[in-house]
Amino acid sequence: MAEATAHAHHGPSPQEQAENIKFGVWLYLASEVIIFSVFITIYALFRVQNPDTVFHVREELGIALVSFNTFLLLTSSWAMVMGLRAIQAGKQRALIAWIGLTALLGTAFVGLQYVEYTELAHAGVAINNTNASVFAGFGMRFYTPTAFHGAHVIIGVIWALWVVWRAWKGHYSTENYVGVETFGLYWHFVDVVWILLFTLIYLV
Amino acid sequence: MTDETHPPHHHDAIILPGTRRIRLPGGIYTFVFVVLAVLTLVEIFLAGMPEGPARVLVLFGIAIGKAALVVIYYMHLKDDRRIFAWTLLVPLIFATLGGFFLLLSPAPYSL
Repeated sequence: MAEATAHAHHGPSPQEQAENIKFGVWLYLASEVIIFSVFITIYALFRVQNPDTVFHVREELGIALVSFNTFLLLTSSWAMVMGLRAIQAGKQRALIAWIGLTALLGTAFVGLQYVEYTELAHAGVAINNTNASVFAGFGMRFYTPTAFHGAHVIIGVIWALWVVWRAWKGHYSTENYVGVETFGLYWHFVDVVWILLFTLIYLV
Repeated sequence: MTDETHPPHHHDAIILPGTRRIRLPGGIYTFVFVVLAVLTLVEIFLAGMPEGPARVLVLFGIAIGKAALVVIYYMHLKDDRRIFAWTLLVPLIFATLGGFFLLLSPAPYSL
C-alpha cells in the first residue's frame, strides 16, 4: 500500500523504468523479426526454385570474404557484451574501449560489404538483371536483405559512437547502464540476423 | 571519468558438463564467443561438402544454435523477464510458419 502510494507520487522506480525501456526495444525488435522474415522467405523461395542461378553467383563470389566479415560481426558482438560487463563492474574506460571496438568492427563489416558489392557488380549481378542473364532475379533478392542489414549495421555504428560519447561524459555507472544494454539488444539482434543470412545466402 | 579497480569478476568461472570448472577472461561471454567461432568454422567447412538435404539440415541446425546462443547469453533472455522472450518468439513462430507454408506450397510462383 505504502509502495503503491509512493509510486503514485514519484512514478516508476529506476529499475522499472529500465525494464520498460528494454521492453520497448524488444517490441521494436519483434517488428524487425517480421520485416527480415519476409526478406528471408523471399530469398529462400528463389533459392529453392532457381538453384542454378545461385550456383553461378557463388562461382563468381566465393565465401572467403563474407566468412571473414562474419567473424568481424561475431567479434563485435563479443566486444559489445564485454563493454556491458565492464560498466556493470564500474569500469568506464573499459566500456569506452569495448564499445569503440564494436563500432570499429561494425565499420569494417560495412566496408567489406561494399567491397563484396563492387565485386558482384563487376561480375554483372545487378538489381535489374534481364531474363537473358544467368543472374536473372538474383540481384534484388540478394541486395535487399543484405543492404537492409548493412543499413542496420551503419545505424548500430552511429549508436555505438553515441554510447561511447555518453560514456566519456560519465553518463553510465554500475547503477545506470540501461543505455548500454538497449544498444546491446539492437546490436546482437543485427548479429543474429546476419548469422541466419550468412547460412541461407552463402552456405546452403 | 573514473575507472576504479575491481577484484576479478566472479563470472569468470564457467562450469562445463561434468561439473568441471574453468576460468576464462570474460567468463561465459568469451566462452560463447569461442563456441560461435568454432561453429562458424564448421559451417564453412560443411559448405564445401557435396550438396544434399542432410547438409542443409545440419547447416540450418548450426545457424539456429548460434542464433540461440546469442539471444540467450548475449541478449540475456536466460535471466531476463519471460515477457521479453515471448515478445521475440510470437512473431518468430508466425513468420516461420508463414515461410514454411510458402516454401512447401506446390504452386509454382515466385515473390
